[in-house]
Amino acid sequence: MPSPDLREQLELIRAIQPAVHVPQNWNYENTGPMYKAYMHPPHDVGGQFDVPIYYEEKEEEQWELNTYVTCEVLGWRGVWTAEERRRRADNDLGYTLYLGMPYYARWIWAAAKMLVDKKHVSLAELQEKIAEVKSRYETK
Amino acid sequence: MSHTHTHGSPGDSHHKAAPMVEEITDYEVLEIAVRELAIEHGLFTAEDHRRFTEWAESIGPAAGSRLVAKAWTDPAFKALALKDGLKACKEIGVDWAEPTGVGTPSDYMEFHVLEDTPTLHHVIVCTLCSCYPRPLLGMSPEWYRTTNYRRRLVRWPRQVLAEFGLILPPEVEVRVEDSNQKCRFMVMPVRPAGTENWTEERLAEIVTRDCMIGVALPKPGRTADVHPIQKARRPVNSSHQEAS
Amino acid sequence: MKQNKTSAEKGALFEVGDMVRVRDMPYMFYTRSQLYTRGVVGTIAGLTYKDLIPEEEAFNFDGRVEQYYIVRFRQKDLWPGYAFDNDTLQTECPHRWLEPATN
Repeated sequence: MPSPDLREQLELIRAIQPAVHVPQNWNYENTGPMYKAYMHPPHDVGGQFDVPIYYEEKEEEQWELNTYVTCEVLGWRGVWTAEERRRRADNDLGYTLYLGMPYYARWIWAAAKMLVDKKHVSLAELQEKIAEVKSRYETK
Repeated sequence: MSHTHTHGSPGDSHHKAAPMVEEITDYEVLEIAVRELAIEHGLFTAEDHRRFTEWAESIGPAAGSRLVAKAWTDPAFKALALKDGLKACKEIGVDWAEPTGVGTPSDYMEFHVLEDTPTLHHVIVCTLCSCYPRPLLGMSPEWYRTTNYRRRLVRWPRQVLAEFGLILPPEVEVRVEDSNQKCRFMVMPVRPAGTENWTEERLAEIVTRDCMIGVALPKPGRTADVHPIQKARRPVNSSHQEAS
Repeated sequence: MKQNKTSAEKGALFEVGDMVRVRDMPYMFYTRSQLYTRGVVGTIAGLTYKDLIPEEEAFNFDGRVEQYYIVRFRQKDLWPGYAFDNDTLQTECPHRWLEPATN
């Protein structure tokens, strides 16, 4: 039986391999290839290198189903199209959020941003609502 | 013994590690906030949300299995499925126009069945996002959505298929379908040997979701796709769910 | 809803069997034309539908409607050192991203 400790050890050892960290702070110029790489939409990942991983199933969270439905219903009622959702959720948020956030987190983030961008909701109103919803949870 | 799982540590190449409680709660909060604001501002109604949820909970791969099983036993239906995917779906009870009447925003109404032959094997991916034929197959599996699968399948399909346990001879043409626009696809595998005289119902049992994506072949006795399962903290319809 | 405004089709549609090259147009902000197909020659495998191009629909811009095509490539043409001769890949492209090719 393969040891789960082995997998964890190999991953941790991989994480402590040395690398040279080059902080980025408004480079004065970019080479042509670097410019192209910066312009490249983050979600266009076909052909990039990656390693074998366990391909898992995932039990769906209630919030994930709700997110999916909210995003689709916003499309159904003409507030945005799925293509616009994809552009916002897969592309506009940049590599850090694209790779760092959970899959459906990008969907709901894109929906929130869209509501603000399209002036359905002001950012202030969104912030106040988030704070209020949060406070409901905290009293439980 | 508890399942060892790295929690988003730097060495975790698998970016779907179990999230911290706070992350989940923040997204739950955001989802509620967005939904309530949308309803308050008249962008959609709670009834809209409920209706669409009902549809979302009704879909699953069994419909796809039925379509393939019927195609295997009925040559006229098979011809229809290859010529007009939407019509064939309707015959087995799936209307791609549901639940809005004009299709879902994400799945559209352009569905095509990809026919495998002994010398042609299809496998499907959406490298740009994770487009999937939801009305016929239900929600996509987690692995299908990963950047990992989307990066690798187009370039190293045989290696990825081998990781699923599927190895094909070099003479077989492996054809990757990168569904990057509005068309949605499903694989119709070759009917395996050893299934002569089987009923449609028995055939459908071996046409699993993985077979219809193209990462597995149907075989007598193989009635489930086996993958590790990441459990949810507050799964759909769990008793912990806050009523809203 | 979508209006059929100025189509980007200049001349005839491509037909099944035509050889086409994916244009390597500069992109920014958004694309649904994968980097790995740019400049590669493939064959039209099918015509699908006419619709808004993604660059416009993704920004809610009621703009160009074009014919979409399924384009099939040999994997050997897409990837350096691809080891299996028979393998192919197909994907979907709107007309503006394709130009005729003679291989």
